[in-house]
Amino acid sequence: MSRYIAKRAIRGANALVREAELMLNRALKEKGEDQKVAFPNTAYYLPLIYGMTGIAVEKLEDLVPVIEQAKRLLHPMPSDNLWTPYLGETLDSGMATLLAAEAIEAIRFVYGLQPERMPGFTLAGGTSYPELDAPNNGRVGHLNGPIDDIQLRSWGIQLVDGRMPGFAAIVGAAKSNEVAVKIVRELQKRNILCFLSGNVNGRSIIHQLIEEGVELGYDTYTVPFGTDTISAIYALGFATRSALTFGGLKPGQAREILLYNRERVFAFVLALGEVDDLKYAAAAGAINFGFPVIADTVIPEILPTGITKYEHVVSMPFNEIEGADDLEKAERLVQKCIEVRGVKVKVAEVPVPVPYGSAFEGEVVRKNDMRVEFGGKHSRCFEYLFMAPLDEVVDGKVEVIGPSFENVEPQGHMDMGIIVQVAGRQMQEDFEPVLERQIHYFINGASGIQHIGQRDIAWIRISNNAAEKGFKLEHFGKILHARYHSDFGAIVDKVQVTIITEPELLQQWLAKARAAYDYRNKRLADLTDDKVDEFYSCTLCQSFAPNHVCIISPERLGLCGAYNWLDCKASYNINPTGPNQPIKLGKVIDPVKGYWTGTNEYAKIGSHGVVSEVSMYSIMENPMTACGCFECIVMLIPEANGVMVVSREDPSMTPAGMTFSTLAGIAGGGLQTPGVMGVGKYFLLSPKFISADGGFKRVVWMSSILKEMMAEELKAVAEREGDPDLIEKIADERHVTTVEELLAWLEEHNHPVLAMEPMF
Amino acid sequence: MPVEVPKEKWPGSVRTITLGALPSEGGTRKRVVTVGGETAMPFMHFEGEIPNPPVVAIEIKDRKPDDWSPLLLETWKDVIDDPAQWAAAAEAAGADLIVLALSLTNRNGEPTSPDEAVASVKAVLRATGLPLIVFGPGQAEADNALLVAVSEATKGERLALGICEDKNYRTIVATAMANDHLVTARTPMDVNLAKQLNILISDMGLPLDRILMDPTTGALGYGIEYGFSVMERLRLAALQGDKMTQLPMIVTPGFEAWKAKESKVGEGVPASWGDWLNRAINWETLTALTLVESGADIVVLRHPESVKRVKAAIEELMAAKSLVS
Ligand code: SF4
Repeated sequence: MSRYIAKRAIRGANALVREAELMLNRALKEKGEDQKVAFPNTAYYLPLIYGMTGIAVEKLEDLVPVIEQAKRLLHPMPSDNLWTPYLGETLDSGMATLLAAEAIEAIRFVYGLQPERMPGFTLAGGTSYPELDAPNNGRVGHLNGPIDDIQLRSWGIQLVDGRMPGFAAIVGAAKSNEVAVKIVRELQKRNILCFLSGNVNGRSIIHQLIEEGVELGYDTYTVPFGTDTISAIYALGFATRSALTFGGLKPGQAREILLYNRERVFAFVLALGEVDDLKYAAAAGAINFGFPVIADTVIPEILPTGITKYEHVVSMPFNEIEGADDLEKAERLVQKCIEVRGVKVKVAEVPVPVPYGSAFEGEVVRKNDMRVEFGGKHSRCFEYLFMAPLDEVVDGKVEVIGPSFENVEPQGHMDMGIIVQVAGRQMQEDFEPVLERQIHYFINGASGIQHIGQRDIAWIRISNNAAEKGFKLEHFGKILHARYHSDFGAIVDKVQVTIITEPELLQQWLAKARAAYDYRNKRLADLTDDKVDEFYSCTLCQSFAPNHVCIISPERLGLCGAYNWLDCKASYNINPTGPNQPIKLGKVIDPVKGYWTGTNEYAKIGSHGVVSEVSMYSIMENPMTACGCFECIVMLIPEANGVMVVSREDPSMTPAGMTFSTLAGIAGGGLQTPGVMGVGKYFLLSPKFISADGGFKRVVWMSSILKEMMAEELKAVAEREGDPDLIEKIADERHVTTVEELLAWLEEHNHPVLAMEPMF
Repeated sequence: MPVEVPKEKWPGSVRTITLGALPSEGGTRKRVVTVGGETAMPFMHFEGEIPNPPVVAIEIKDRKPDDWSPLLLETWKDVIDDPAQWAAAAEAAGADLIVLALSLTNRNGEPTSPDEAVASVKAVLRATGLPLIVFGPGQAEADNALLVAVSEATKGERLALGICEDKNYRTIVATAMANDHLVTARTPMDVNLAKQLNILISDMGLPLDRILMDPTTGALGYGIEYGFSVMERLRLAALQGDKMTQLPMIVTPGFEAWKAKESKVGEGVPASWGDWLNRAINWETLTALTLVESGADIVVLRHPESVKRVKAAIEELMAAKSLVS
């Protein structure tokens, strides 16, 4: 906690509460206790005071206890060497400031000093003041003052349902008129409400915008409250009322109202220009609401996250912001604000000149219809996504480095690299491969574009039709930016894409990408069950197998083959109420068979009591259940003392006397059948594959299609098991379809299972 | 020889939810309807309490519907183009609740405006003292525009606003929160999806006792087994203590049954199918009753005769209570 900020906030609060008290005393004398006090068109009295204290202020005298309460929140100025101020004092001072500020504005209303007059100015929609707005007695120009209840409802709903991401309370004046306009435009572009107040040496952002002819008012989502700092209180009155209206909270539930705002209202304060004591005090008030303060000047920062979800106070001196000119700097400043508060940006449409949607995903671009291709036989195409620090990613930036395909002959080819940088507070390195794999689906969604493969074997075709419609390289970037935001907004805050065709740079990046692929492969290989403390559930299939749950560990993927542990982890982060929930492992019960307290408990809940225990590594004892989506069925052949593995794609007869489809009836349905299990084919390669029963060496028969599809990987498994010829010793449907034939085969090939102990 | 009947003891119960508000509670209803509260599977009176019988709602439209069966148009012909009269007729036909389904377009074929929607709702509220459920036309944008206006114009009435779905619920929930209404949450026949939507809605801050869940169903012969099984599992989960499934269920068998060929088509069908009207009413009645047996707390019907039969059946099922000592 910055001692400096605390000191100035405390000083500012003391001064303002004092001022409020003097004003109130004078008003009581001049106007009397019974003088009515009200903000226009609201049922919430003085809303902040009403929310925080429960006091419904209707008359001047009702303000007396409010000021008393504000005074109780004040703290003495810390002496320079004895006392170390901390957050509590600062927050108290902030609250005192807010109570005083609202009281002051209310008294100003009594004296006709609010809304602030601004000769010649007309609001583009705003709170109505009949006495000022009536044309017949010479319309009086004025600013908006507090927001009325009607507008509160309309904007409140949009804030709650997410159409409006949040609001910005801008206090002070920008470096120049140009910068002021840019800041507001950038916020409007993102649908963020702007509340304007305050000044620096008499100049307010409101003056700046009016001079530049920017329309201000409800209609343009920019509300000029007043040119002093005190009028910023209206923003918090708005926030308080939304909690009362949409949070179902009662006046006086101060803590709940503050929490509601912290959790649900994405607002921030942007302090432009020099920050004086009063601004510090008001900022401390905003922090109570969980609204961080971003200043464009040098001020001490408060970075620990606690009261606000993010940083409390961030200093981003305007002149030190990177950027070619002031406008770029302004853009960066707004981006920073959005980052700090974690406001999520939505991109409504994928901006490409061709139709876009998942309906086009399966589209094929044939050679004859093709304008150009990247990757495939004649060229190289790679994609590489990685996370970077928030400051280093410029959201929405798409850069093409190198020539486009205009000069490539029809049906020609060229090299291309797609580099995607993402940043986000919830982003983790582990999600990189999960996100990278999405490039395939995202790009395929564009009509006339075909995408195959991944990593450095990606292969993209652009059709003549798409090229004629104006599809260019940059559009790959546009697609990715839009889709990552819309589908992965929960973990991705910023996306920047670089498309490289320039040969030398391409080689450099390709090398970097390959290093990363290698690193990820190793990481995946290293990611073993004993290195994590949670597995994940998947209940996606419960819609048709109501009591089945997949329990997914780093070494055991889902039985459909589509979900591994990292996918589940990412999916949980994206959709915390979704089908993938973390299962805390708890205590190990049996490390060999794979029992934990956590997995057993979850099995019970997830299966609705049908299954009470599940073993992760055994097929003989409490094996995992199956829905019906399994890629393979593993089944005990008692006579052979081993198991067979049948692929979904193998229609032939098996030694068990049944084909896959008949077996599927036994394996599926969410029931535990010892000796039968549905699995994803990559689980066969895992060191944990029926490890409690002897592991991969137990496989005596396997559909030949599996042997072919995973030839390389199976070879590695054979090596791992210390029997390099193991795969040749495993029978398949080409030679063996009965138990008798199987036993003969095993003898003939000297299968290791002959020497293993009985399975049961 | 005395026979010991095995009894299931459930730890959980369904939430009790009240629709409508009396004048003393800030509304204008003459009667409120309370559903839920079960501590046993449907009508298993000997295992627990079924404190509130399932209720029957009649669905009406804000104007003469374009796509309803001619049998229904004939039945309601005197009132079909006037929601207020229709509501009164529905009340007279024995409805416990009214469901007003707003149309996408008005009588002139233009999009229904928020003002028109409010006018229809207000007219219905004046014409009947029963609690009201209002469904939007079923298109996100129109639903939001119309329901927000309706919600604001009827603050405090404790209407149920629908239909919240996975893709569009936030605006409806927000306006229900701000104006003291309830919502109905519909998911496509899936226990986990139902649960998830309930979680998402309550995460927004709407208390669980203001959410009705609609697990969706099919009509008799059109997937009703599937709907039955999902509802049964939701109810089992609720009784087992899963908070997010403990909401009373509303289903729309009227809508489903009147879509079926058996009730929609009168000509060119086998003679053995028998009388058209009778068949259609049987279809609706059987669909509704099946769902009542699987745990429905509110069934939304269209034909007055079905209403009569379903209510009579519910009465009998509830009367079994007195047989339990
Ligand atoms: S089979 Fe796949 S989708 Fe289905 S529950 Fe298992 S992991 Fe999830």
